[in-house]
Amino acid sequence: MKKRRYKVIRFILLSIFLLIAVFPLYWIVLTSFKPTNEVYSFPIRYWTSHPTLYGYKKLFEFVNFGRYFINSSIVSLTASLFSTTFAMLAGYVLSRSNFKGKTFSILFLFFAQMLPSYLIMVPQYEMFSKLKLINHLISIMIIYTGLGASFSTIMARAFFVRIPKDMEEAALIDGCTRLLALFKVVIPLMLPGLAAILSFSFVNNWNELFTAVLFLNTSNKYTVPVGLYSIISKAGVQWNILAAGIVIALAPTIAVFSVAQKYIIAGLTQGSIKG
Amino acid sequence: MEFKSKTFVYLMLLPVMSVVAFIVIYPTIGGIILSFRDYSIYSFGNVRWVGFDKYTEIFTDSTFLGVLKNTLIWIIGSVTFQFLLGFILALLMREPFKGRGIFTGFVFYPWAVSGFAIGLIWSWLLNGQFGIVNDLLLKLGMIKSGINFLSSPNMAMFSVILVNIWYGIPFFAIMILAALQSIPNSLYEAASIDGAGYFTKLFKITIPYIRPTLVSTILLRIIWVMNFPDIIYGMTRGGPGGSTEILSVRMINTVFYESDYSKAAAYGVIMVSILLAYTVMYLRLTSSKEVRL
Repeated sequence: MKKRRYKVIRFILLSIFLLIAVFPLYWIVLTSFKPTNEVYSFPIRYWTSHPTLYGYKKLFEFVNFGRYFINSSIVSLTASLFSTTFAMLAGYVLSRSNFKGKTFSILFLFFAQMLPSYLIMVPQYEMFSKLKLINHLISIMIIYTGLGASFSTIMARAFFVRIPKDMEEAALIDGCTRLLALFKVVIPLMLPGLAAILSFSFVNNWNELFTAVLFLNTSNKYTVPVGLYSIISKAGVQWNILAAGIVIALAPTIAVFSVAQKYIIAGLTQGSIKG
Repeated sequence: MEFKSKTFVYLMLLPVMSVVAFIVIYPTIGGIILSFRDYSIYSFGNVRWVGFDKYTEIFTDSTFLGVLKNTLIWIIGSVTFQFLLGFILALLMREPFKGRGIFTGFVFYPWAVSGFAIGLIWSWLLNGQFGIVNDLLLKLGMIKSGINFLSSPNMAMFSVILVNIWYGIPFFAIMILAALQSIPNSLYEAASIDGAGYFTKLFKITIPYIRPTLVSTILLRIIWVMNFPDIIYGMTRGGPGGSTEILSVRMINTVFYESDYSKAAAYGVIMVSILLAYTVMYLRLTSSKEVRL
């Protein structure tokens, strides 16, 4: 009897949590499909009988949102591939070797990953303006690679530590080189970890706002977050258009999340630090 | 499993170390230097050394104390409730139930959404005129007229914290849930035989057992929340009248609106110092057994 009551209470509480978590997403998707007069009318409608793509059409007509999407994809994918590859190499030796400077390296990476990107964007700006790379996508690509590499390495190391060493040892005895053993034996076992690391850095790169706003100043170079930022800075923006922009901004990362959820949660809870 | 060649080890580390040194460490040092010069949109041709001027400017600014106060309220308000509600959620999710995997996905998805977008979404939900939250509260009869969640200086901080709590609950829940699942069942069985009730078990077994995780998660979250301007930037950008301006938002506003890059760098140095001191303290507090590097 007591058990049953607990289950009912639990069901109610979990439903409340679920509702509060999902409702904002529902509301922004709904708003993006509403015709303008319904967005600004009373009584407020919780459903629309006239779904329209007007918001999305305007988004691609008035602002160059398709371009932003392509820019964001190029930047985020390139940077996450680079930082993940680098992290695999470094994470592997950090998990398997005791060398001089190991503790220092780990502390160095630990500190670097705690720094939020915007804290150092001004000196980065000064640095890249000397290299004449302001308003180039390549600059934020390099920056995102550097910002992601430290955290990805710490995460990679945490995953590598959990992989038993026996199989590599066998491969080494069979005459494999170390690098070959890494790619043939260890990395296949690391695939869940790899998925987590890649998803983490992709999501972080896709969402980064402040550095991109500072570095990119012509519309054809904007990433999606900068695009959103520039839309809200314009006076009198309609909320169905902005909502469409938000939906497009969050669709790729939510897609990544829904595919890699299991690995992301494992990555979060196993020896990593960042939210 | 030692490597034959040390050169190989250092070669493998080289890409990460050099890119981090170039993108993170070098600019951190560059920021310190920058904060002693005068580099702003008005002085591009004439960048002088100004010593501690920028720091003096910051500390003698009459609004600086308010910014610190806001930062403190933001941290305490957010982390306390993120933790408490996250803990409750984790306890509720602990025993398996049908659809738990899907439930986790639906509760945890905000992790993948940028704080800025979250801020934008909620600024629409909390809109004073067409916002759904006011509409619901009015329908439920809990208020008589709409609340100006974001345009009133008295409400704005409350609103941004509320959204940050919403955003942070799943993170705490996931971390605590993982810890909960490491508690051996035998402890509870023994306690049940002794006739312990739900709350006795919670306070005598559960909490002591996962204390290290709780402590380290809270400590890391405090510094993370302090350095998290994204939601506020999507909702108020520090306004109205500076009422939601926390330290990180102030720094970004100094870059975007004042275009005083040296002053922003000085804010950066202050915040990196806090971060560094906090990290050292954190590593001391949780050293060896609780946090393995």
